[in-house]
Amino acid sequence: VAVLPAPQNLTVLSTNMKHLLMWNPVAQPMETVFYSVEYQGEFESLYMSHVWIPSSQCSPTSGLACDITDDVIATVPYNFRVRATLGSRTSAWSTLEHPFNRNSTVLTAPRMEVTEHGLHLVIKLEDLGPQFEFRVVYWRREPGTMEHIKVVKNGDIPVHLETMEPGAVYCVKAQALVKLIGRHSAFSQTQCVEMPEESLPLAL
Amino acid sequence: FGPCRVEGVVLSELWEAFWAAKSTVQNQDDITSVRLLKPQILQDVSDAESCYLVHSLLKFYLNTVFKNYHSKIAKFKTLKSFSSLANNFLVIASKLQPSKDKDMLSISESAHRRFMLFCRAFKQMDTEAALVKAFGEVDILLTWMQKFYQL
Repeated sequence: VAVLPAPQNLTVLSTNMKHLLMWNPVAQPMETVFYSVEYQGEFESLYMSHVWIPSSQCSPTSGLACDITDDVIATVPYNFRVRATLGSRTSAWSTLEHPFNRNSTVLTAPRMEVTEHGLHLVIKLEDLGPQFEFRVVYWRREPGTMEHIKVVKNGDIPVHLETMEPGAVYCVKAQALVKLIGRHSAFSQTQCVEMPEESLPLAL
Repeated sequence: FGPCRVEGVVLSELWEAFWAAKSTVQNQDDITSVRLLKPQILQDVSDAESCYLVHSLLKFYLNTVFKNYHSKIAKFKTLKSFSSLANNFLVIASKLQPSKDKDMLSISESAHRRFMLFCRAFKQMDTEAALVKAFGEVDILLTWMQKFYQL
């Protein structure tokens, strides 16, 4: 019986603390190949390197990617390995070339909506999950103006920034903060909102 | 922990991991008359002393308790929670840098005396029972750590 080849090219794609392990398919025409994913944290690799833990999402899976976010639950290097199974045949393990640490995740500038509600300057940020806070910087666009900073604890909730004056322009930018890994994203594009001039009451 | 700064660990994740393993763990502990982390070990610990003491305790838990307790965990399928606890303890221990200044000698010796109380109590028990007891007392340790740890 031909030996089943091991999956190749294991890589981890990590963005905004969501981590995806991916690999190339094991080609077996007209057959469904299943894959099993296992991991070990730094503790296991240091103290008990024979111990591997089945991934909570993908043991087994027929897909070519595995969401390992719930498995990576400490800010330490993690080893991952994948093997293929077809019927009674099982491949050798293929191991991720470099251990993955969640502090290497890519942090993108947060999407935000800046609106005016009456006299109020309001911001709503995208919800990136419980590990995220946001630093919001806002200012009134005029010479010598001062920047104000507000830390917003979670996304998806409109937050009042400032009570605006008619005719003034206010600008806002924001960045995502992840204390867990001690890092932050780049700032988003600045968005500005102009407060209409006060409309004069109609002469009666 | 006093002068020692630790970042990158969310204590709630540790509690979550411990609760997940708790029911399995504490059912094995039938010696209720003994406590390893006695009150006099963790009471009235100064900020300065806390760094030394937590460093010693975490190292002990990593090198002795978790390392040897793992085979029990494998049987009861709580590997993931155990791994979370152990790896986060590793993060904290690796970030703690207790000062080696001479003027801190009396404080580090006081912390060492407290730690030795714990070690002595551990060694006085049968090893298997001591491992189970120590693992079951992680909640006592986390409660004490929480007082010093704000994220």
